[in-house]
Amino acid sequence: MRFPFKDIPDPGGAAVRPRPIVDVVVEGLELAPQACLLDSGASAVRMGAHVAELIGLDLSKAPSATIAVGGTTVEGRLAEVALAVSDGASGHQWTAPVWFCEPWRPAFGLLGLTGFFDRFEVTVASYEERIELTPIAP
Amino acid sequence: MAEIGERTVTIAKQRFDLRRDAIERATRQLLPEPISSHYVVIGRRRYPPKQVIALATGLDRADFTSHQARRILMRLGFAVGRVPSTSVVSSDRLQVGESVRTDRIPSAASSRERRRELAEMLTALPGQWVAIKDDELLLAASTPNELVSWLSRHNRRADSMFRVPEDEIAAGGLAPL
Repeated sequence: MRFPFKDIPDPGGAAVRPRPIVDVVVEGLELAPQACLLDSGASAVRMGAHVAELIGLDLSKAPSATIAVGGTTVEGRLAEVALAVSDGASGHQWTAPVWFCEPWRPAFGLLGLTGFFDRFEVTVASYEERIELTPIAP
Repeated sequence: MAEIGERTVTIAKQRFDLRRDAIERATRQLLPEPISSHYVVIGRRRYPPKQVIALATGLDRADFTSHQARRILMRLGFAVGRVPSTSVVSSDRLQVGESVRTDRIPSAASSRERRRELAEMLTALPGQWVAIKDDELLLAASTPNELVSWLSRHNRRADSMFRVPEDEIAAGGLAPL
């Protein structure tokens, strides 16, 4: 699967930055795929707790942890959810542990090592502003 | 003579004094309905002209035409435009009522240009939640729930939703450990 980078305005609007972002359908919420940044520095997949709310996921009994993000700490709750990506020509669905975090300052979800980079062979061709994902056979 | 931004109009045999600033205030909390052809830009959002005139006058939309609504809004100083023509095709991949562009297959260059245009539009919406479809802004809303609720209500499907970064932390994706 191939995806172009997404052009995202820098804060302040002075410039546009192409970013390696793919849209991920979470638990079949196809009408609103969540934009997620590929982040090989993140140990896991993280999203805002609002995503859990959108998909009607009850996290009250989910395992929780305090996570450091960008100089602050957030409360994360862990759940196994179905994720899917598609480039229009082909797609792939898998299940992964996702930390739903509150508060959540990043504008996107973060696709980290466990649950994403361990499920795909990932090429980030920054010079061509494109991403290639090849699912790894289980 | 009426000032720009203020008009007395007759619609369906009734007279209305319409003011640009009153319409801007009234639409501040109004989510736009899907655009089928023409739109009017109010507060950085695109609305169907008939939706706005119905709100401003309290009239039923059957009481006036889209052309009337556009003309009134233009005279009040709002920008009015038309979405590029599209053809609707059926496909297993599409939901009911969803359309795809078939009038032109974008080249890589034009696709990049459209992405840049979208990004420039997004610069005006820091902190807003946006739904994107075919590199066009479908909706900007204050909360993710509002956005998804609108998509669901109007049977629309976005390609992507996210919050437009309002600061470096939001933009940076600082990796949690």
